[in-house]
Amino acid sequence: MTSNTTARDTAQGTDERLHAAGLHAPASAVLSVRDLNVRFNTENGVVHAVRGVDFDVMPGKTLGIVGESGSGKSVTSMAIMGLLPPTAEITGSVRLQGKELLGLSDKAMCRHRGSDLAMVFQDPLSSLTPVYTVGTQIIEALTVHNPTMSKQAKEARAVELLGLVGIPSPKDRLKAFPHEFSGGMRQRVMIAIAIANNPRVLIADEPTTALDVTIQAQVLEVLHAAQEETGAAVVMITHDLGVVAGMADDIMVMYAGRPVETGSVDDIYYSPRMPYTMGLLGAVPRVDVAEKSSLVPIDGIPPNLTQPPTGCSFAPRCPLASEACLDGEPDLRAVAPGTGHRAACIKSEALADVDVHTVFAVPDVPVSRFDSLPRHERKTVLELRDVRKHFPLMKGALIKRRIGTVKAVDGLSFDIREGECFSIVGESGCGKTTTLLEIMEFHKDQDGEVVIGGLSNKQAADAKAKSSMRKELQMVFQDPTGALDPRFTVYEVLAEPMENLGMPKAAIRKRIMELMELVGLQADHVNRFPNQFSGGQRQRIGIARALAVNPRLVVLDEPVSALDVSVQAGVINLLDKLRAELGLSYLMVAHDLSVVRHISNRVAVMYLGKIVEIGDVDAVFDNPRHPYTRALLSAIPVPDPELERTRERIILQGDLPSPLEAPAGCNFATRCPVFAALPPARQEKCLTLEPALEASATDQQFACFYPDGELDADMVVVHENH
Amino acid sequence: MLRYLAKRALTYVFMIFLTTSAGYLLAVSTLQPALLEQERIPRPTPEQVVNSFRLKGLDPTLNPWERYVDWLTGILTRWDWGRSPNGAFINAEFGDRVWISTRLFLASIILTLVIGVALGVFTAARQYKASDRAITSYSYLMYIVPAPIAYFLVQLGAININESVGERVFFVTGISTPGLDGDGWAQFVDMLAHYAVPTFAITIVGWGAYQIAQRQYLLDNVNADFVRTARAKGLTRNQAISRHALRVSFIPVAQSIAFTIPAIFAGGFFAEKIFAWHGVGSWSIDSIALQDVNAATATLAYGSVIFAVGAILADFATTLVDPRVRVQ
Repeated sequence: MTSNTTARDTAQGTDERLHAAGLHAPASAVLSVRDLNVRFNTENGVVHAVRGVDFDVMPGKTLGIVGESGSGKSVTSMAIMGLLPPTAEITGSVRLQGKELLGLSDKAMCRHRGSDLAMVFQDPLSSLTPVYTVGTQIIEALTVHNPTMSKQAKEARAVELLGLVGIPSPKDRLKAFPHEFSGGMRQRVMIAIAIANNPRVLIADEPTTALDVTIQAQVLEVLHAAQEETGAAVVMITHDLGVVAGMADDIMVMYAGRPVETGSVDDIYYSPRMPYTMGLLGAVPRVDVAEKSSLVPIDGIPPNLTQPPTGCSFAPRCPLASEACLDGEPDLRAVAPGTGHRAACIKSEALADVDVHTVFAVPDVPVSRFDSLPRHERKTVLELRDVRKHFPLMKGALIKRRIGTVKAVDGLSFDIREGECFSIVGESGCGKTTTLLEIMEFHKDQDGEVVIGGLSNKQAADAKAKSSMRKELQMVFQDPTGALDPRFTVYEVLAEPMENLGMPKAAIRKRIMELMELVGLQADHVNRFPNQFSGGQRQRIGIARALAVNPRLVVLDEPVSALDVSVQAGVINLLDKLRAELGLSYLMVAHDLSVVRHISNRVAVMYLGKIVEIGDVDAVFDNPRHPYTRALLSAIPVPDPELERTRERIILQGDLPSPLEAPAGCNFATRCPVFAALPPARQEKCLTLEPALEASATDQQFACFYPDGELDADMVVVHENH
Repeated sequence: MLRYLAKRALTYVFMIFLTTSAGYLLAVSTLQPALLEQERIPRPTPEQVVNSFRLKGLDPTLNPWERYVDWLTGILTRWDWGRSPNGAFINAEFGDRVWISTRLFLASIILTLVIGVALGVFTAARQYKASDRAITSYSYLMYIVPAPIAYFLVQLGAININESVGERVFFVTGISTPGLDGDGWAQFVDMLAHYAVPTFAITIVGWGAYQIAQRQYLLDNVNADFVRTARAKGLTRNQAISRHALRVSFIPVAQSIAFTIPAIFAGGFFAEKIFAWHGVGSWSIDSIALQDVNAATATLAYGSVIFAVGAILADFATTLVDPRVRVQ
């Protein structure tokens, strides 16, 4: 059925299409993919996961493949590597330096894998064999392709590689096991393995998705260095438009298994011609833009690839779709003659210089009734006074003795006023989640005071007080799938908190219908189970559950980090709308600073259990004073190639230190770029005294002796021309 | 490591003491060997019974606590585990029984482990192919069939062979032919003829569990991210599996093997009964039937010791194969 149409398309010839478009001359390409198709036989029928992908990569250049989950980008990379299961049916052509790779046996493929074709995978935690040392695993990659290499030479090369990817004292670390490395370090090891044999093509599949922003910046830097070292062509697969903006030369946007727009990075970012690309770009919040506008949500879900599409596969979600869009799937066509910019949209010509906000129905920026009130006139919803949570570190089996203290949260004070969104940001392990848990705990034996809606944990902490506290404060969790009981219908999920409060049945029913409408779900879906909803819809159910009892404060624990960009935009818009309409306050924990900037009014930056900078979100983000905030902000990639290319980036050295090794003076001194540049005489102060949050005339407070200090040159990276 | 083992051993010694003491107190307050004496012909008078038991250290007139103290003192001071109602010394009986159990199980358990793990790897590499389906189905069948029935079937098979050959090739019960004269070769053939049937029976029933476990753990790892990394380095699928997945999947299997090995010495009740090898397993059940307080407690203590050794061995095996586990 599909094969007929695809076969016909193929017959017309990818070559012909490419030549007509005047594209790259494939002769110089190191990797050429032509009409790649991948089908999987599943219980639900044949899934056509990749449908006709063409691209060329030139030596030393970077191609970014961008798309939502399920768009076929990872399957494409695995098909090139020959790592798909044998049940996958792969057709088309993959040529590496002119040699056809498809159809090669596993054994023949092995001569290329790891030698001229290498790959870095997404999850560094599970990608290394836990029972072998890092050295063994690097040396194995060398042994496979250089059987005659001497043991000393291999060891020397392994040390050299570890040094290259920035692992300190590489010689000793060869004997370390993967579990002795942090996630970022393991990803460096993965990169070292991948570049061990100087590959011609390096495929990186979401190499930084699982990492913190500061570590992401380090790893991207290493990838960059590795590319320069080997001169390899890089295929970078990601869903994050920011990550590729600074790295890629060309971009291919994929949707439903097909490339829908390709072109140079500037073409794609500055003049997208396909509504999907425009939507993706508009859906990403920007960390560097203060002006507030709603994000572009792309409604709907990607199509089911078991059914051959009869029209444009994006049409069901496209605001511009018309009758003509449903008649046959559009091919990739050159947008302007003579350029490599191509888009698969029949309306691409009309889309030049069109603002994405006019294409997609973008809601207005919601205004809360509290927004006009000055902050100090609003009531306090939540207040923390010097909250601490120290975990004793014990040793010994029978008789335990204390060998140290982990200061997960160390003297936290802040308040949240009515109608405002307060966010806590920081790397994983800085104590964000512990802070939330301390607030939810609400017990009189806690170290420090938590005041929720005027009720302190010190005064009233019996069951009754607690339940009235719970009514004031509700929580939305990170993973919407895990947070909903799979055996409860949506009705039961939403009814439970209200039943707990003893509301009458009729009122509950009425309230549930209101809630469904409030979060943008269809009211007649209440009898469905959570697995019948998409990820974004499940998070909406989670939000509805939190709102069921009319709380004043909602705690959001990474509310959108598990969602795709386009879905994320819809949820963020919803949260923004609810805050304005219901006068809610939010306490949000997030690692994505762009999301934080977009939705928050105030922000606190945490480092090792302490707030290092706090204040109005625009003040903190536009004028960060603490070196850590500066580093965090500079590490965030921005979906703007121009800016990315010239931006000054602070690359912090190393990982977040273990809370055990917290230094006596300033916690951050070990990684601080300002500290590193200070003369020893002035460093003394940082090492001995602990900087406190200084109250200032403005709302912005920071804990640093040398704000706006000179940065250490070694930690600052600028890529002039790329 | 040694300090850690010593610590663990100390914990287990304490636990063994607790279980054994509890076991003794339970046995001494419920088992009544005097009642069995009443069935003797001629029936002894109650005074005779009490007298004879008092001489064996089994005085039924003492209360359980007093008997416990006596029994414990005997063990701690003279390593004397007491006597049976029929007068036999537990210490002497014990050594014989353990040796019989060991001889019965040693060969078959080694075969079980080797065959089970090897077939597990073999079938995992051929998932869903005919050979995998046949072997794995067999293993599940052996899970379902009660061991005694399988033992009986093997015995019947051996008897059939004997009958069709027309002479006694295999012995289906017993350890050796009593009063067999002859040179070493004849002794050896006699031993083989006795060993073959029980060893075969225990092995074919036993390896199913290891096959299923090893297959499952290996399949869990065959598609692991690190196997994919190994393939991306340039290893073929089979190389990647045998070098990377196998070692990781062996970690949980190694633990269960470590638990099994000491169990060889504890024997098994059904096998010992059916093949008439009177080892520890059958003794422990018999001792309860014979209202034998000291023997029942001794087998219980022995079981605890074996379990503790198994647990320590399992810890040891894990640290040996898994570098992530570090002893502090």
